[in-house]
Amino acid sequence: MKDFLETALLAPLEQLGRQVLAVLPNVLAMGIIILFGFVAAWGLGHAVERLLRVVRLDQLCNRLGINAALARGGVKSDPSHLVGRAAYWIIVAFSTVAGLGALNLQPVNQFAQSFLAYIPHILTAGVIVVLGYLLSNFISQGVLIAAVNASLPPARLIAMMSRWGVQIFALAMALEELGIAQSVVVVGFGITFGGIVFASALAFGLGAKDLAKDYLERTLSNRARDRAPDDLRHL
Amino acid sequence: MGSDTIEPSNDQLKSPSVALTPETESLVQDVGDVEMLVGIPSYNNADTIAHVVRAVSAGLAKYFPGQRAVLVNSDGGSSDGTPDEVSRAVVDFGALLISDQQSRLQKIITPYHGIPGKGSAFRTIFEIARRLNAKACAVVDSDLRSITPEWIELLLRPILDENYDYVAPYYLRHKYDGTITNSIVYPLTRTLYGQRIRQPIGGDFGFSGRLTDHYLDQHVWESDVARFGIDIWMTTEAIASGARVCQSFLGAKIHNPKDPASDLAAMLMQVLGAVFALMEEHHGVWSRVHESMPVKLYGFQYEVGVEPVNVNVERMIASFQQGLADLTPIWEQVLGRETVAELKPLQAVSAADFRIPDDLWVRVIYEAALAYHARLMPREHLLKAITPLYLGRTATFVLETQGLTTVEAEGRIEQLCLAFESRKSYLVERWN
Repeated sequence: MKDFLETALLAPLEQLGRQVLAVLPNVLAMGIIILFGFVAAWGLGHAVERLLRVVRLDQLCNRLGINAALARGGVKSDPSHLVGRAAYWIIVAFSTVAGLGALNLQPVNQFAQSFLAYIPHILTAGVIVVLGYLLSNFISQGVLIAAVNASLPPARLIAMMSRWGVQIFALAMALEELGIAQSVVVVGFGITFGGIVFASALAFGLGAKDLAKDYLERTLSNRARDRAPDDLRHL
Repeated sequence: MGSDTIEPSNDQLKSPSVALTPETESLVQDVGDVEMLVGIPSYNNADTIAHVVRAVSAGLAKYFPGQRAVLVNSDGGSSDGTPDEVSRAVVDFGALLISDQQSRLQKIITPYHGIPGKGSAFRTIFEIARRLNAKACAVVDSDLRSITPEWIELLLRPILDENYDYVAPYYLRHKYDGTITNSIVYPLTRTLYGQRIRQPIGGDFGFSGRLTDHYLDQHVWESDVARFGIDIWMTTEAIASGARVCQSFLGAKIHNPKDPASDLAAMLMQVLGAVFALMEEHHGVWSRVHESMPVKLYGFQYEVGVEPVNVNVERMIASFQQGLADLTPIWEQVLGRETVAELKPLQAVSAADFRIPDDLWVRVIYEAALAYHARLMPREHLLKAITPLYLGRTATFVLETQGLTTVEAEGRIEQLCLAFESRKSYLVERWN
């Protein structure tokens, strides 16, 4: 009876106890790492937000039209707060992955490694999207002003097309960076872009043939002077 | 203002501002010291430059006989033989009843280094003037058709005899000629710096050796000033440095017409950008100026028929109205909602009733200057976005002065200047 108790009940319990004791430091370490991560994330998140307010990031973003774009997208927070929160969540994510790594479990380790390896791609894609957005704003504003100064009636349409062109291009680059449907993105972008160029060329050639002729004549010869509507000298 | 704030020259201690070619160095050594120097910047001006060179030669010989002078052509790599035209151009002094002084006038024909543009050409001319210890200098455009020998006397004499440092040109112009000058640059420069220089971006100037040194010592030669904006920079820098300035009446200015359809937005950006950049640099000077003073005008003034100017008002109004329709968000960012709201009613008015009042125009320019200073948007965009507004204001000026003589139209410009001056305190307050 005593042997039975020792082998059937106590031995497994003892083994379980040993296993628990073996894992307990790892669990404790995980808890400490995650807790420390949350505290660090909270502190650094606030520090980043305060720093960005000091360097007037919000005003800069306002000038660049980012605040307006965020408002259009239903985001009411200002950029400093958003970047602060982003810093908070990045640190939380890192500390969680690091904490799980402390458990030293094979599947968790593999997930952590894959996650860490993917982070640079996510960051690069994010940077591409943000830069693409800023560039599209800058280019479309310049195109709009140039088109108005050239008295082109569809000035806003041209500016909008330039904005979307740059944004689609940036999005395609970001998706390729993330490895999402790479071939589909490249082919899709190629077909779309080529189609737009072909359609524009056809539309211009057929619908604005006189305008094209006039433009080429003015560009390649000196007839502009003869046809100028006035000879105002501005300087 | 007095001339005492300009540092006296001491060329022995100064290092060269810009390198000269070995050939030019050698020529400068051969020429030695001179009393006067006349510079002509050029780029593909073979058609007109010979006339300018002959006028300069005759002017120096007729009005400054016996004084050592040199003519400097600073060329930007012309491919049409411009330097050859300069070296070949000679004057028949006998026909002009001038005793031969040709041997005294020497020519230095040199390419310039640096960023391509009139500013870099001037820098080389200034450097040569400093090396030659020139007491009085003048620069004239190479595409002038109306230059006469008298221009040279009028640009140099106030410096040599009256101790002025800077001589600005005063031309007879058609009332619609020089509309950027009339509606922006003249009123704004006069309001800011307190000197009523009527043609601050005239292109033909006289200046002293001391001022040449001052120009060379400024660190602007790698900036946009080297490309464009050199004319307004020279005028503003002269006033702001405390130089003694005057004007000389040169009569009509006729020069090779530039294509009127050439990029107005780029032209406006260059000029307005230079004016606004100089406002930032000389804030300490202009913020203390409270009123403008007349500037001494030399020369015999006369009336002369000027070339007629054809104007298409409807096209200018259409450009303004398209700007109002398409650029409103940008204008609101630059000028503020209130100012744009006052422009809005002009969207629907007929050409006959179209007017941008003086007061509103002054606010447009001041708000644009403040937005430039605050960097509210990329500066190139800001400056180019002003173009339709400028066309609207020009249309207003044409409509208001249609039946007026040039003298009467000048009265309208004076009214605009007074409007600029009356609101200056707003600009000063907002700038700080």
